[in-house]
Amino acid sequence: MKILNLAWRNVFRHRRRTIITAAAISVGLATMIYMDTMMNGLDSLAAGNIIDFETSHLEIFAKGYYREEGLFPLDTIIENPEFILQRIAKIKTIKGVTPRIKFQCRINNGIDELPVLGIGIDIEKETKVFKTANTVVKGEYLKNQDDILIGKDLAKDMDLDVGSFLTIITRDRYGTYEAYDFTVSGLINTGHPLLDRNAALMHMNIAQRLLSMYGITELCIKTRDDNKLMQLKQEIASKIGKNFEVYTYKELNAGIFDLSGMKRSGQFMIALVVVIIAAIGIINTMLMAVMERIPEIGMLKAMGFGNYNIVKMFIYEGGIIGIFGSLFGCFLGLLASLHLVYYGLDLSHMLENIDIIYPVKFIITGEINYMTVLGVFIFGVVVSVIVTLWPVRKATKLEPVEALRHV
Amino acid sequence: MVETIDLFKDYKVGKVLFPALRGISLKIEDGEFIAIAGPSGSGKTTLLNIIGCLDIPTKGDVLINGTSITTLSTKEKAEFRKNELGFVFQTFNLIPVLTAYENVEMPLILVNMPAEEKKERVISILEEVGLSEFINRKSNEMSGGQQQRVAIARALVKKPSMVLADEPTANLDSMNAKEILSLMKELNKKKKTTFIFSTHDPLVMEFAERIIYLRDGKITSDKKK
Repeated sequence: MKILNLAWRNVFRHRRRTIITAAAISVGLATMIYMDTMMNGLDSLAAGNIIDFETSHLEIFAKGYYREEGLFPLDTIIENPEFILQRIAKIKTIKGVTPRIKFQCRINNGIDELPVLGIGIDIEKETKVFKTANTVVKGEYLKNQDDILIGKDLAKDMDLDVGSFLTIITRDRYGTYEAYDFTVSGLINTGHPLLDRNAALMHMNIAQRLLSMYGITELCIKTRDDNKLMQLKQEIASKIGKNFEVYTYKELNAGIFDLSGMKRSGQFMIALVVVIIAAIGIINTMLMAVMERIPEIGMLKAMGFGNYNIVKMFIYEGGIIGIFGSLFGCFLGLLASLHLVYYGLDLSHMLENIDIIYPVKFIITGEINYMTVLGVFIFGVVVSVIVTLWPVRKATKLEPVEALRHV
Repeated sequence: MVETIDLFKDYKVGKVLFPALRGISLKIEDGEFIAIAGPSGSGKTTLLNIIGCLDIPTKGDVLINGTSITTLSTKEKAEFRKNELGFVFQTFNLIPVLTAYENVEMPLILVNMPAEEKKERVISILEEVGLSEFINRKSNEMSGGQQQRVAIARALVKKPSMVLADEPTANLDSMNAKEILSLMKELNKKKKTTFIFSTHDPLVMEFAERIIYLRDGKITSDKKK
C-alpha cells in the first residue's frame, strides 16, 4: 500500500462525482484540440490556395509596385522579365516561374456589370506554377486568343456559361478606356474565393494589348523546398538587383496570417474559459473530498502523517482526475479532429455568399498537431494539480484534535 | 514512562474561557492498563489528547520516557506519534475504501521496511486480533466489533510503546465490548504495551488495572487494583 494507491481508491469513492469532474476537463480540452485542428486545417487550406492559385511561393515586382498593389499601378511594371529570368535561371530550388499581369477591370454580360480582377497568364508556364488548369469544371482551358476563364461562382452571378460572350472593360496604362470581347471557354472551381468569384483569366498578350503595355506586373515563383523560402528570397533578391522586390506568400498575405493568429487567440480564450469552469469543478470536488474526510485526515495525522503526506495524497487525487479527464479529453478531441481530417466540415452552403476574408470555401478539413495534443494533455493535468492545492490548504491547516472532533 | 506535571488546559469558546484540565499530575509506568474515567466534560479526552501529542496544554508539561513533548515542533510530534503511539477511536475511523488488511497496513506506509516484513506484520497482527479470515473485507462488510479489532490491529502494527484508546467500547454492544477489552488486555500482557483508555463504561473499568477518576478537570481518585 502506497499513498498513490490510497489516492487511487479515494478518487473512486464517489464514482459519479469523479466522472462528472473529469468529463468537464475532457470537454474543455477536447474543444481546445478540435479548435486547433480546425485552425491548422484552415491555415493549411488558405496557404495551399494562395500558393496554388494566387501568388505561388514568391512574387517579384518592379520596385514600388507592392506598396500600391491594391491599386494595380501600371506605371511600375516589370518591363523586361527576360532579364530576371536569365538571372535566376540557375537557381536549382526554383521549380517554375510564370509571369502574370493583374489589373482592375469590369466584366459586362450585356446587361449587368461587375468589377473583377483581370489576370493575364502565359498558359504554358502557368501550369508549372499554378494548378488553375486542373480546376476547369466545365468547358476547357484557354485555347483561342479571345477565350476567357471565369470562376463558377462569377458565372452564376453574371448568368454566364461556357460559350457565352462577355466584354472586359478597363483603362490602359495611359488611362484610356479599352474594351475587348471574349468567349467563355471554361469555368473554374478552385476553392479560392478570389479566383472563383472575382477574377477572369485571359491570354497574356491580350491583357497586354488591352493595357497598351509590353511588360508584366509580376513573376510568380514556385520552389521545390518551401522550408527555405527566406533563403531563396534573399538569393533571388541578390541576383536581380535593387530595381525589383521579392516577397514571400506570407508577406503578401500578412493580413490573413495575422488574422489567423488573432482567431487562434480568440478561440484559445474560449477553450480556456471552458477549462477554467472545469477547474472550478475540480476545486469543488476536492473541497468536498477534504470536508467529508476531515475526521479521516485527523486520524491520519494522529497516525503520524505530516502535512507533506496529506498534501501528496490530495495532489495525487487531483492528478488522477486530471489524467483521466485529460486522457479522455484528448481522445475525444482526437476523435472529433479525425472526423474533421477525413470528412471535413462542409461550409459551402454557409459561406457561398459570404466573404470571410480567408481564402477558403467548400469543405474545411482539419490538420492535427500532435504536439498540441500532448501540450493540451500536460496542461490539463498541471491545471488539475495546481487547482487542487487551494482546497488542500484547508487540510494542512487542520489540527489533528480538531479534525478528530469534527462530525 | 509517562509523567504529567501540573497540566492545565483552557478552551476558549467565543469570549468565555472553559477550563478542561486544572493541574493534573500523574505518572504512568510502562505496560500499565489504565482507564481514565469520569463524566462527560471531566477532561478525560483532553488529557488523552495531550498525552498523545494531539493537543497542547495551556500550562504544565508531559514527559514521555523523559522527553518533554510540549516542546516538540509539529513535525517532531508527528514523528513521535508515528514511532511511539497507537490510537483507537470511538468511531473506529477506518478508511472505508480500504480492506481490513490495507487499513492495518496504513501506518506502515510511513515506515521504511521491506514489503515482505510489512506483510508478515500485518497478517500476524490480524491473526492476533482474530481477523485472519476477514483480511479482504472492507469496513462496511464487517460488524462494529470486527471494525474495532481492525482499529486495534492498526494501532499495534507499528509495535508502539503506548496505545491511547478514546471510548473504544462506546459504539459496541456489551458482548463485543467484552471481547475487545479481553483482546486488548491479552495484547497488553503479551506485548507489554501501555494501554490508556478514556471511558465512562463500567466494563472498561472492570478490566482496567488502574483507574484514574477525573471531575471538572481534576483527579479525584487514582486507584490500583
